[in-house]
Amino acid sequence: MQIAVKAQERAGAGAAALARLLAYLGGAILVGLALMTVVSIVGRWINTGWVRSIAGDYELVEAGVGIAVFAFLPWCQLNRGHVTVDIFTNGLPARGRAFTALVGDILIAILAYVIMWRFYLGFGEKFPFFSDAWRDRLSMGFKPFFPETTYELEIPVWIPYGLALIGAVAFFLVALYTVWRSWNRFARGEAQ
Amino acid sequence: MTGIELALAGFALMLLAIFARVPIAVAMALTGFIGVWIVRGSPTAPLAQMKTLTFDTFSSYSLSIVPLFLLMGQFATKSGMSSALFKAAQDWLGHRKGGVAMAAVGACAGFGAVCGSSLATASTMGQVALPEMRKRGYSDSLSTGVLAAGGTLGILIPPSIILVIYAILAEQNIVKMFVAALLPGLLAALGYMLTVAIYVRVRPGAGNVAERVPYADRARSFISTFPVIFIFVIVMYGIAGDWDWSNPGPDALFTPTEGAAVGAVLTMIYGLYTRELDWQGIKDAILATAQATAMIFFIVFGAALFNSFLAITQAPQSLAEWVSTQGFGPYTVLMAMLLAYLVFGCVMDSLSMILLTIPIFFPIISVLDFGMTPEETAIWFGILALIVVEVGLITPPVGMNLFIINSMAKDIPMVRTYAGVTPFVASDLVRVVILVSFPAITLWLVGVMFPG
Repeated sequence: MQIAVKAQERAGAGAAALARLLAYLGGAILVGLALMTVVSIVGRWINTGWVRSIAGDYELVEAGVGIAVFAFLPWCQLNRGHVTVDIFTNGLPARGRAFTALVGDILIAILAYVIMWRFYLGFGEKFPFFSDAWRDRLSMGFKPFFPETTYELEIPVWIPYGLALIGAVAFFLVALYTVWRSWNRFARGEAQ
Repeated sequence: MTGIELALAGFALMLLAIFARVPIAVAMALTGFIGVWIVRGSPTAPLAQMKTLTFDTFSSYSLSIVPLFLLMGQFATKSGMSSALFKAAQDWLGHRKGGVAMAAVGACAGFGAVCGSSLATASTMGQVALPEMRKRGYSDSLSTGVLAAGGTLGILIPPSIILVIYAILAEQNIVKMFVAALLPGLLAALGYMLTVAIYVRVRPGAGNVAERVPYADRARSFISTFPVIFIFVIVMYGIAGDWDWSNPGPDALFTPTEGAAVGAVLTMIYGLYTRELDWQGIKDAILATAQATAMIFFIVFGAALFNSFLAITQAPQSLAEWVSTQGFGPYTVLMAMLLAYLVFGCVMDSLSMILLTIPIFFPIISVLDFGMTPEETAIWFGILALIVVEVGLITPPVGMNLFIINSMAKDIPMVRTYAGVTPFVASDLVRVVILVSFPAITLWLVGVMFPG
């Protein structure tokens, strides 16, 4: 039995808009990191006067790529981009294949939830604000005694964690949507 | 249960799940998570690990090379390099028998020098070379087969995403891996051209001869490929060359990740300069990079969980000890592994295979004596593994390159493509035998560039 087909299609448009926006933002970060790296190499090569390499360029690449990968996850899931081995299930009738796709999406949604939940706690351990009462209500765990920072630029680690968390939440939401989509395709007997 | 039994049971269950179409990353992550839970008796440890494992995996500096090389490859596919390369290769080789197919191989090799992915190389070169071969009356089998095989040059010729992953798993120097891949990659291209030459002599109707092009035109089309050569040389020599002659030992200009960033920026500038890369092209390149990056990192994350399970069962070490006490010949073990890759390659993608097998195979290879230093053995084995997993891309039933090329020519039946690619698979196997017999082909250039 299909569940709220019209609503699913509307939600699909929303999920696509969200996933695409995040993919573009992650891509912009990636292009920005590439440009920054080139500038930094040129600076390191000339290395006179005020023309120097960019301080903490490796750190920025690491943090930026981490944020970008999280931002890319929803887009990949929406397009069923995660690798599967299809050869042994290709012989199944359409509904059977739709069922395997549904199982795959449910498992991804579960994993996406665990990733988001644990990463939120990881974020809480780095996040040095809010009173204990509020932290309890948000189940953020104990407040860290000092805010962990990156090595060279001393950026508080909760900032890249927080930005990456946006991608983790979107990944879970999009994964939930794909379960809904897979269920309806399964109900229609439409292979995917 | 002992550690090794538990690891075996976990591995078997995971394979079953994968064959039942569970996404590979999820199957690895769940097996790893539940496995650690069983060994430790509680889920606390894996749950605590998960707090930072995702971000730590995604933000590792050595892995950051992957999205940057993917971006470079995507910009390259959208900036008209493929047609410039194919035009030049055709001008130089087209007048030979089967020359346009040889040109397709040459252009794939050139494109592989700026692109680290086989699928992108196959699809980009297919769009340029397939219509040309069909227009000139090349047989369906040869024209699709040669392009599917040529596509694998994308990953055999550095930069190569698979080699990056191998280097991280086996804790090898990525720069040395790239340098080592260079000669075997060129050997692959020559082997494919030779295969075309033999093919058109055995099947005279399969290919024909194009008109000879005057040398002035050849020079002009060759010059038009200079940007591609320039980018490849800057990236490779920048990460592997010696830029400071006053100091002894190699002094590279930048790290592999920086090299990938330089490559991506230069390719983008080239595309913008030739006006082939427009705003839509940039957006498409970013979306394609996003999808491929997320796919790869999700599998790497799953493999990280799975490997922490393998590590606490100590199965890889026990297996390695067992193999070394059995007194198998090192080459017997190596052959068994390469065969396993060929068999699994029929159903699995190359990245997942490398991530699943290297943590098990590499400790075994390390304890065997091939008469080389441990580092040489590791480099040599990596190149061999790279080649055999890539054969999986062109062997039926699940060769992704075959599907990509075949989908560009819907009127060609799949069996013709299968038939057309067979001689190229044979050429791959001959190359594996050559590289196994003569490790120097792989290791010589590394020794020259990194003396001592």
